[in-house]
Amino acid sequence: MRYNFDFASLQEYWPEFLRGALMTLEMTVIACVLGLVIGVFCAIGRRGKRKWLATLCGAYVEIVRNTPYLIQIFFIFFGLASAGLKLPIFAAAVLTMVFNVGAYTAEIVRAGMDTIHPGQIEAAEALGLSTPQIYWDVILRPSLERVYPSLSGQFVLMMLSSSVTSQISAEELTGVANSVQSESFRSFETFIVVAVLYFAMAMLLKFAFHLFGQAIFPRRRRLGTPL
Amino acid sequence: MRIKKLLAATATAVAALWLAAAPVAHADQLDDIMKAKKIRIAVAMGIPLFAFVDKEVKATGSDVETARLIAKDMGVELELVEITNAARVPTIQTRKADLLIATLAITPERKKVVDFTIPYATLDIIVAGTEGNAIKGYDDLNGKKIGLTRATVNDSMVTKGAKGAEVVRFEDDATLITAAVSGQLDVVSTQTAVLAAMNEKRPQSPLKVKFVQQELNLGIALPQGEDRLKEWVNTWIKTNFQNGKMNAIFATFHDRDLPQDLLTRQ
Repeated sequence: MRYNFDFASLQEYWPEFLRGALMTLEMTVIACVLGLVIGVFCAIGRRGKRKWLATLCGAYVEIVRNTPYLIQIFFIFFGLASAGLKLPIFAAAVLTMVFNVGAYTAEIVRAGMDTIHPGQIEAAEALGLSTPQIYWDVILRPSLERVYPSLSGQFVLMMLSSSVTSQISAEELTGVANSVQSESFRSFETFIVVAVLYFAMAMLLKFAFHLFGQAIFPRRRRLGTPL
Repeated sequence: MRIKKLLAATATAVAALWLAAAPVAHADQLDDIMKAKKIRIAVAMGIPLFAFVDKEVKATGSDVETARLIAKDMGVELELVEITNAARVPTIQTRKADLLIATLAITPERKKVVDFTIPYATLDIIVAGTEGNAIKGYDDLNGKKIGLTRATVNDSMVTKGAKGAEVVRFEDDATLITAAVSGQLDVVSTQTAVLAAMNEKRPQSPLKVKFVQQELNLGIALPQGEDRLKEWVNTWIKTNFQNGKMNAIFATFHDRDLPQDLLTRQ
């Protein structure tokens, strides 16, 4: 079986690949920002004193982390429509990503919060800091700095799993690839191109997270050591 | 140093893959099938009436039964290769199957990369929508959301014909049906059998045929250059069309007969 590689025939599809890659990045950025917000609140809720809230947050995390992403996508996409709520495809795809990445983020953030020594929190209470102050300055900021590498890893992973949303017709990079290969009949080449694009995007994201981390964690920037 | 080692290991792995895929003196596919006493026939599951899973979770449909009859007449064992729509042409290109019987329409573009037998069945592809949608042709689709299955003739015709439409592509007919049934879609481009399956599950507002896009001639696809295998299947189609066996299978599932002039079509 001989295979003649022909990348030239893919040249005309370049704008489509680019459009797909941009959509993947767009979806990832929105999902990560919203997912982080949900994750932080969910972690706080899980650690808090209100039993029902802790149970609720715990249930959300366990359900998302123990079911396949594809099933969650179908459930949300078809479930919402059956319930009469019709979202545009892009919004539906991003919603499934937020729902998914929120739970993983919650666990990572919670793990970070658990590393804060109780003595530090007691000290803050003794100094008369308010609860929001304690959460922001004593717990959240150092713990986010500590778990920042795993958080950025999780977000890169989310970018890669977003390929699954092509199943509900989101025209992101994998969706575009499937269309291109069915039109050009150059499936091997198409998927090589897409793999390279995903790799480049993952590297780009990693670099962006690195820069962002340097910007928001001055301690790390100045000392260059992990907390 | 470590990077160098890693690179070397990767290079070796790639080279090994290359060799594995390298030309083994290629024998004739028909001989290979006879020698192995097994034929691999690819079908795209989840297409109502053509290839689907029945109540006993058994694969059936006119495509699947045609595959069974071919294997039986060849006197070999049948291995059904179940694939998705978008994988139909690549499956044959990469020889993951000997034959493909999967509602694949004979088109000039596909003929460049795979070989086709003479037609074995036909299919009407249509645009359908709910009562409120006034659609008479491709122009009326502009600005509308239209659902279809990726890598089908519907896909290329709608993409070319209705540039202003928002085309929503699903990976297989089963997902397209679910999208229509759950209410995600009001307008679809598909084939009559799929439409019937949709309407069965949404009796409250059925989708009506708005216009027929084309009548397609479906062919059995096989890798290029397998002329003896192609000749065998062509003869089989002629024989079984004339003795009525093929029509019997088709009519069982589709409630209509194959067109009289099927064999003369290209």
